[in-house]
Amino acid sequence: MRSFQAWAALLAMMASGWAAASDPLPPDQFGMEPLPARTPHWIYVVDSAFMNETDSRVRLYDADTHGHLGQIDAGFFPGVTLSPDRNTMAVGTTYFARGGHGERTDVVEFTDMTTLALTGEIVLPAKRAQATPTYFNLGYSSDSHFLYAAYITPAASFGVLDPASRKVLGEIETAGCVLVIPWGPNHVSSICDSGRLLTVMVDAQGNEVSRALSNLFFDVDTDPLFVQGIPTDRGYTFLSFLGKVHEVDFSGPEPVIHAPWSLVSTAETGQWRPGGQQLGAIQRRMGRLYVAMHRGGEGTHKKGGTEIWVFDLGTHRRIARWPVPPLKLGAVTAVQVSQDEAPLLFLASDTPAAVATLDALTGRLRHVDTNLGQTPWLILNP
Amino acid sequence: MQRLDRLFESSARSLAQRTSRRSFIGVLGRILTGSLLVPLLPIDRIHRAEAASGPEGSPAAAQRVPAAAKGKSTTKAYTEDQQSCDYWKYCAIDGFLCSCCGGSSHTCPPGTQQSVVSWIGTCHNPADGRDYIVSYNDCCGKASCGNCDCYRNERERPLYRLSRNNDVNWCMANTGSDYHCTVSVILGSAGP
Repeated sequence: MRSFQAWAALLAMMASGWAAASDPLPPDQFGMEPLPARTPHWIYVVDSAFMNETDSRVRLYDADTHGHLGQIDAGFFPGVTLSPDRNTMAVGTTYFARGGHGERTDVVEFTDMTTLALTGEIVLPAKRAQATPTYFNLGYSSDSHFLYAAYITPAASFGVLDPASRKVLGEIETAGCVLVIPWGPNHVSSICDSGRLLTVMVDAQGNEVSRALSNLFFDVDTDPLFVQGIPTDRGYTFLSFLGKVHEVDFSGPEPVIHAPWSLVSTAETGQWRPGGQQLGAIQRRMGRLYVAMHRGGEGTHKKGGTEIWVFDLGTHRRIARWPVPPLKLGAVTAVQVSQDEAPLLFLASDTPAAVATLDALTGRLRHVDTNLGQTPWLILNP
Repeated sequence: MQRLDRLFESSARSLAQRTSRRSFIGVLGRILTGSLLVPLLPIDRIHRAEAASGPEGSPAAAQRVPAAAKGKSTTKAYTEDQQSCDYWKYCAIDGFLCSCCGGSSHTCPPGTQQSVVSWIGTCHNPADGRDYIVSYNDCCGKASCGNCDCYRNERERPLYRLSRNNDVNWCMANTGSDYHCTVSVILGSAGP
């Protein structure tokens, strides 16, 4: 026994001696983490911060690592867009000099998306459309020469900006038509209360040279068109309240509006419908359309989806219905999909606030993140 | 006033595209009724038509009672409780109820500014069986109230039909244009 105690004492002394002899931790190097190279599985989540709207943010998230990579401040009712080369994020927003009050400044702020550093701004007239986020609150021309900002005062118009020289070039009125859908180097379309598209062509200085109205293609009274377009290879797809799909080709000299098709059967019409803030997304490589759908009547068009319906864009056939409740997610208010060969589907809810990542081929849930803001209403691909 | 002039020019163009001259006269009479209270709001007759028949021809569209209050038309929340989102006057509201922020269903909280532009809805009052044209005005100049978030969209329409849209900041034309909360102001009966 005495021998055992002696050995134990010896071991304890050796252990404490080793601990005392080990080196202390070195001083930390205080610095800034570099932003890693972006991947197709990043997303930019626009949090409109509805409970405190002057404090919107854009959050960078890596769906492969579940990492929160950084943030861009976005102010009040922001419009958010990326340059065609994806290296610059433009945020059109409003600040008040003293928080919730004081002098109003409307501004477009530019962020370098390789560093997340602010690189400049353009101060706008106090006319910016302070509306919920869509792709069309702010947008670049295809050659990055112009940036267009939607104005509502409530008179509708848009500002033509020069992002290179950081200047406002002018303003073009669009009475009865709202938002900016830039296409090509010098065209901007807007969606009209009359059920048409207005298209304005500008010259090299950003001045209007012509305008044209499309044919009537939707009925605002019986089946309005959502303003949240979904990017396609050749333009945008728009959904209607009752589930009609309107594909608009902006790749030619003028918009070509294809005959609509329907997400819902005759029996489902008026019962099931799309809804939310960012209603759907298209995986262009696979030709698949994902839409947040819910069962509901008139007045439920902003209700989030309780199912995700998946369509083949070639056949217009529904190929899957994925119920949302098993994902432990609230009603889906925003949908996005990555454009790579192993695509991920992103579904956001604001009640409770969360963003789910799924395999876009199978619908299998990979992860749910609950720290991406309070009202994630728009998700952009990098 | 220039902004209002442009708004009415826009509304007039839109109305002219959608209605015949004869129907316009009918509309005008209804507008004048409502305009006794608020003379400069862009009302059109579509709300009334939809309230009567439903805009989309579907069984669900035929409902007269707002979805959020369906089955509750006799409850106190729907008929009396102005701090409840189910209250009948809030049928197309999307925001914070001023009645939970120091104001009432139709008055702004102290120290805020009343919005100078607004959107319009038609809501059904179960107490007297009438439809009413209401103006949804925001109260402005202070940060978001954050209380009683209310989210109903009966007959609400997208941004291009601005007079019926609640996705835009209706404090936009005020000197203090931060959004605080929303009220629902009865303009007049929408029916005979």
